[in-house]
Amino acid sequence: MTQRNNQQIRDLVREDRVHRDLYVNPDVFDLEMDRIWSRAWIFVGHDSQVPNAGDFYATEIGREPVIMVRQTNGDVRVLHNRCAHKGAKLTGRPQGNCKGFRCPYHGWTYKLDGRLAGVPARKGYDNTPFDMKDPRFSLAPVAQADSYRGFVFATLDPNAPPLPEFLDDAAATLDNIADRAPEGEVEVAGPPLRYLHNCNWKMFVENLNDAMHPMVAHASVGNAARRYVAEQPEGTEYPPEAEIIFPFGSSYEFFDKMQVTALPHGHAYMGGELSIHSDYSAVPGYWDAMVKSYGEERTKKILSQNRHNTIFYPSFTAKDAIQAVRVCRPIAVDKTMIESWHFRLKGAPEQMLKRTILYSRLINSNASMVGPDDWDCYTRIQEGLVSDAKVWVDTSRGLGREEAVGDGRRKSFGTSDLSYRNQIQAWLEYMTDEVAA
Amino acid sequence: MTAQAQHAAPDLATIEEFLYREADCLDRVDLDAWIQLYTEDGTYWMPVSPDQQSPETEISIFYDDRLLMEIRRRNFGDEWAASMDYDVRCSHLIGNIRYATDGGPDDGWRVQSNFQAAIYYRGETTFYAGHYTHDLVNTPDGLRIRHKRVDLLNCDSAELGSIVIYL
Repeated sequence: MTQRNNQQIRDLVREDRVHRDLYVNPDVFDLEMDRIWSRAWIFVGHDSQVPNAGDFYATEIGREPVIMVRQTNGDVRVLHNRCAHKGAKLTGRPQGNCKGFRCPYHGWTYKLDGRLAGVPARKGYDNTPFDMKDPRFSLAPVAQADSYRGFVFATLDPNAPPLPEFLDDAAATLDNIADRAPEGEVEVAGPPLRYLHNCNWKMFVENLNDAMHPMVAHASVGNAARRYVAEQPEGTEYPPEAEIIFPFGSSYEFFDKMQVTALPHGHAYMGGELSIHSDYSAVPGYWDAMVKSYGEERTKKILSQNRHNTIFYPSFTAKDAIQAVRVCRPIAVDKTMIESWHFRLKGAPEQMLKRTILYSRLINSNASMVGPDDWDCYTRIQEGLVSDAKVWVDTSRGLGREEAVGDGRRKSFGTSDLSYRNQIQAWLEYMTDEVAA
Repeated sequence: MTAQAQHAAPDLATIEEFLYREADCLDRVDLDAWIQLYTEDGTYWMPVSPDQQSPETEISIFYDDRLLMEIRRRNFGDEWAASMDYDVRCSHLIGNIRYATDGGPDDGWRVQSNFQAAIYYRGETTFYAGHYTHDLVNTPDGLRIRHKRVDLLNCDSAELGSIVIYL
C-alpha cells in the first residue's frame, strides 16, 4: 500500500461507498498515520490538566509520543517524548510535575522548554560534534501547537493551516462549552475513562453522527427502564436517569429534524438548537449564575446552542450541552483507545458536573448499557468485513440531498450519511494530498 | 463503628460464607438473587482510579444504585442489545477476607478482601483482579450489602474493553 499511488487510493472511495480496506488493511492504517495523523491538528489535552509550571501530561499524536508541559512563563508547550540521546521516553508516568526532564538511562537533563540542560561527564564529548546549543541535542518541539479556549491541539506538520482555520465552525462548540461556565472557563474534572475498542478508529468517529443507529442499537436500555417503571406502583415518577436514557430511543423523524451540518476538513455536528440533550431539566442556581455573568439575553443565546456530537476530524469529539468530550487514539488497524474526559463549568453549581458525570457513566462507560452495544457493533463490522462476498461499505443515505450553506459548509436531514461522506472526503484529501475542487 | 455494632460483629466464617454466596450469584449469572443481597439504598461502585474519592463528580466504570441494578437486570440478555448476544460465564475467587481497621457504616461493618474473576464473554476469557470493600449491615433478612467498592488493579489502564456484568 505504501507503494500505492494517488489513483489507487482514490479507487478505494466512490461517491456512494468506500472500500473495506479503509477499515481492515494494516497498510492503509500505516499510511493514515503518516498522512492524516501526522498532518491534521490532533487533540492533545486541556490546559487545566497542567495548571502549574512543570506540570506535564504524556500522550500520543498518532504513533508519536508527546508531552504537554506548562512552562515557567505560563505557556503550554508540546514536546516529542524522546530523549535526544538514545531515544528513551522521558516519562514513565502519564502525568506529574517536574523541574525539568531527566532521562533515566544516561541522565541527560532538559529544561521544561526542551533545551538540553546537562550531560554527565561531558568531557567525554570534547572534540566531537556534540554541542549543548545544537537543537539536535535538545528535545524537539512538535511542529505546531496551539490552544483554543483551553483545548490544546498540535500537529506534526509545519505547513498545516493555523488552528482556528482548521477548526472552522467546530470552534463554536468549544466556545459554547466554555461559555456555559459563568466564569467563561472550564477545567478537567478527574481522570479520564479509558475504553479499548477492537475496531478501526474511523468506525468510532463515524458513529457519532450516525443517527440511524440509536433507535436500534440502544433500544434495549430504554425498554428495560420502561419495563421497570411499569412494574412499580402507579404514579411512580421516572428517575433522573430517564431523561438521559430515553432520548436515545427518539424516532427517525426526531433525528432528521436535528439535522446534520458538514464543515471543511471532515468536521461536522448534529443538532444546533434542537438535540437529544435540549430538554434536560434546569439545575437550581445555574441560570442565576449565568445571568449574573452574561445578562439574560446572552445567557439564553448560550444555552440555546445544542450540538449533539461535534466531530473534530480525526481525533476529537465534543458535546457542548454535556461538557463531555471523547478522544480517539488509534493504536492499530483494529485497535482504538477512546478516552472520555469531563469538564467542570467554573462558577456553576456542582450539580452541573454531577449531571455530566451521570450522563457519561450511563452512555460512555465500558460498563454502561449503551457504549458496549456500540462497541459490539463496531467489533462485528471489523469481523464481518473479513468476508470476501462484498468489498464495499455503503455511504449513500441522503446522497445528493445536501444543501450548501456557504463557506464550504453543507446541511442535510439528520439521518443522512452526509457527515460520513464528509469524513471520507477529508480522508481522501489527506491521503492523496489533493483538496477536492 | 458503634460499641453495639462491634459487639454484634459476625465472625469471619459468617462473613466469608456471605461473600461466597454473593460471588455464587454472579457465577451463576443470577442478577435477581444478587440484587436481593443489597439494601434498598445499596450501591455498587467501580472507580477509574485507585484513590478516587467521589463517584458523583468523577467518572466511574460502574456506579449503580438499586434502580440501575434493576434496569441492568432487565437489560441483561435483551435480544435487542448487540452486546448481550453472547454467553457470559464467571468464576470468582475471594480471599484475604478481613475486617477493615477503619471506616464503614455506623450500624454495620466494613470488610475487605482480594478477588480474582475470570469472565468468559464473546468467546474469550478475561482475567480481572483487585480489591473488594464491602459495607455490610444486619437486617431482619440477615446480612446485606449497603455499599460495595471494586478496585480493579487496572482500573485506569488502556486495556479495559466492555464489562457486561458486575465483578
